[in-house]
Amino acid sequence: MVNTIAGNLTARRSQCVHRVMLRGMGKLFGSQTALRQANRGMLLECIHRSGAMTQIEIAESTGLSPATVSTLVRQLVDEGKLVTQNTIRNGRRATLAALARREGLGVGISIARRELRLQIVDYDNAVLAEHVLPLARNHKTDTTMERALVLVNETLSTMGASADEVKGVGLAVCAPVDHRTQTIAVPGILPGWDGVDIRHPFETAFHVPVIVDNDSNLAAVCEGAIGAAQETSDFLCIGTSDGVGAGIMVGGHLLRGVTGLAGEIGHVQVDPLGSICSCGNRGCLNTVVDEQRLVSLLSVTHGDMNLDDLVSSACDGDPGCRRVIADAAVRIGTVAADLCIAIDPEIVVVSGALSMSGEIFTEPFQQALQRLLFPNALTPIQVFAARYPMTGPAVGAAIAALEYADTRHKDAGRGR
Amino acid sequence: MNMREKTPLLELRGISMRFGFVDALKSVDLVIEPGEVVSLVGDNGAGKSTLVKILGGLQQPTSGVMTFRGSTVKLSSVRDADEMGIASVFQGQEFCENLSVAANIFLGKEIRQAPGIRDDTTMIARAREVLGAFATTIGTGQPIAALSIGQRQTVALARTLLHDPALVLLDEPTASLSVIQTAEVLTYIKKLRSQGRSVIMVCHDLPDVFAVSDRIVVLRHGRINGVHRTAQTSYEQIIAEIAGVAEGGDMQDDLARRMRRDVSARRSALISRRRADGERIGIADGESEPVTA
Repeated sequence: MVNTIAGNLTARRSQCVHRVMLRGMGKLFGSQTALRQANRGMLLECIHRSGAMTQIEIAESTGLSPATVSTLVRQLVDEGKLVTQNTIRNGRRATLAALARREGLGVGISIARRELRLQIVDYDNAVLAEHVLPLARNHKTDTTMERALVLVNETLSTMGASADEVKGVGLAVCAPVDHRTQTIAVPGILPGWDGVDIRHPFETAFHVPVIVDNDSNLAAVCEGAIGAAQETSDFLCIGTSDGVGAGIMVGGHLLRGVTGLAGEIGHVQVDPLGSICSCGNRGCLNTVVDEQRLVSLLSVTHGDMNLDDLVSSACDGDPGCRRVIADAAVRIGTVAADLCIAIDPEIVVVSGALSMSGEIFTEPFQQALQRLLFPNALTPIQVFAARYPMTGPAVGAAIAALEYADTRHKDAGRGR
Repeated sequence: MNMREKTPLLELRGISMRFGFVDALKSVDLVIEPGEVVSLVGDNGAGKSTLVKILGGLQQPTSGVMTFRGSTVKLSSVRDADEMGIASVFQGQEFCENLSVAANIFLGKEIRQAPGIRDDTTMIARAREVLGAFATTIGTGQPIAALSIGQRQTVALARTLLHDPALVLLDEPTASLSVIQTAEVLTYIKKLRSQGRSVIMVCHDLPDVFAVSDRIVVLRHGRINGVHRTAQTSYEQIIAEIAGVAEGGDMQDDLARRMRRDVSARRSALISRRRADGERIGIADGESEPVTA
C-alpha cells in the first residue's frame, strides 16, 4: 500500500520526466535497455524527491549498486540532466548530484484555506522541488507567512541552491486579488488576510520581484504553459476547490479586468433567495458549491466529512458522494456556460479538488456546458481535466513570477 | 473513514492512573471513531503522555476499562498493542545506536527466512519502502548514530507503517522538526486518515493541531477539560481550557473560584503572550504558573 501511495505521489511530482521514460519502457520491456531506463527513472525521481544527494546516498535509497549509480550519474551529467559538485560527507570526499537547472529559480507559493503549497521551478518550467503543508482553518497571517519563508529557505538548502538564485516569487491566494494594489480585493473571503501586505515579507527576504494573484488565474498560467492547454491561447481554467473561480486566458494573456476581479464566477448569483455569501451578496455560486455546503448535504448519512473525504469516497464508488459532486458540476457548468458565451474560448480546463474525481465531475460539467451553448456550433468547446489539478496555482505562481522578473529586468535594461 | 461504522474503534471508560500519591489520570472517558484524527492537548503534567502510554501498552492503568473494536482488552505490553493494530511513536524514541536504520525499524520483529536466519534482503527492501513514504535522504544502511533528531523521528514514524495499524499514537510528532519535516509529518497524518486509520496525536503546536485533527481533547490535571470538533472551536477557547480559565472548566477549589473573577483579563494576557510566542503554548516549565498557582 505504501508503495502505491509513494508511487502516486512521485508520479504526479515528476510527470514530465516520467512520461518520456514510460513510453520508452513500454517498447523495450524486459531488455537491458529497459532496465537501464528504469534505473535512470528511479535515480532521477529520488533526487527530485529528496533534493541534492551524494552518490552513496543515492545508492542507499534507491538500492542500486554504487557502481551503477556512478555510471548513471555520469551519463545524466553528459546529457545535461544532472550537475555534480565535490563535497565532503562524514569526513570523506563525495560527489553531490543535483538536478541541472538553468540559472534562476522561480518560487511559487499557493495559500489556500487549508494548505500551503510550495513549488520551485526553473526557467525551463521544470518543477525542481515541492512541498505541501496542511494549515488550520482560519490560519493566521503571521504564522503562515513565517512558515512559508522558512519552508522556502529549507527547500532551497536541501536543493543545494542559494537564495540569490531566486529570481522571482509568486503568491497564489484563494481570494480575489486587486491587481493594482496586489492585496485581497474583497474582504471576508480569506479571513484574517484582508488588507495584509502579503508581498512585503517576501520582498525583504529575497530582494526580488514578488507578485500576488488569484489562484485560478495562476492555475490558468500553469495549464497554458506546461499543462492541458498548451495548444491553445484562448481558454478558461475553472478552479474547483473550496469555492470556485476562473482564470481567463485570451490571446495568451490573462484577462484580469480593471481591478483583477474578472472570472470570479464563484460570486455569480445562482439563487436569489439563497444564503448570504462571504462576499456579502446573496445566493452566490460559492454558497451552493463550497466545501461546507457540499459536505453538509451528506452529514446525515455519512457523518462528518471534508472535501478530500468526499472526493475519495466518490472515487471509491459511493453513490451519495458521486451525486453531490455531479450536482455541483452541473451548477458550476451552468455558470461556466455564461462565461463561455462571453469569452468564446477554445477549451475549458477544470482543476482543483473536485476535478480530482475525474469523470464524476467532468461528464456532468461538460453536459451542462453543452446544453447551454450553441447546439449547432461547428467546433463545440471541449472540456479537459487539468494536468496539475492541485499544484497548478503554485506552479503557475512560480512561472508567472519568472516572467514578471524577466520583463522587469528588460525594462530596467531599457531605462539605462 | 467517513461512513462511520457503528462501533467505535476504541472506547475508554473511567481510566485512572496513580503514581504513588499522584493521580496522573482521573477517570478519563474517551471514544475514538475509525478514521478519526484526535489531538490531545494540555499543559505539562496534564496526563497526555500517560494516556498515550496506556493506549500503547507501555503502562497499565490503575483502574478503568478499555474496549477495542467492541471487545474489552487488556494491554500488558507494547507487543500486545502492536498485535491488535495499535502502533505508537513515543516521545524521545530510543534506538540501538550501533545498528542500521533497517535493523532498527525491524528491531524485535525481524523477518526470518528460516528459523534462526534473518532475511536481511527482504527487511532492507521493506524498510526502504516504508521510508519512501517520506521525502528523506535517510539510507537504510546508515547507522542510527549518524542521524539527526528529525531524521530519527522520521524513522520512528516509518516504523509504524510496517504492520498496517488501525490506530496510530503519536507523542509530539512535530516537536524539534524543521518545517519541511513538519509538512511531511502532517501530510503523513492526513494520509493515515484517508486510509481509514485513526490517529491520536499529542501536540503542543496549535497550528499543527488545528491543521490535521478532527477533534481536540483538552486534558487538565488528569481530567478531560473539554472535547471539541476542530471546525467548531478556536485557538482562544482551547488555550483557555488548557490553562483552566474557561467557563465550565476544572475549577473546584477556592483559589480557582477567586481566579474566575479576572478570567477575561487573564485570558487576554494569555492570548497576547501566545501571539508573542508565535502561537506556541505552554511548553516551557513554569509557563502556566501565573494561571495555575
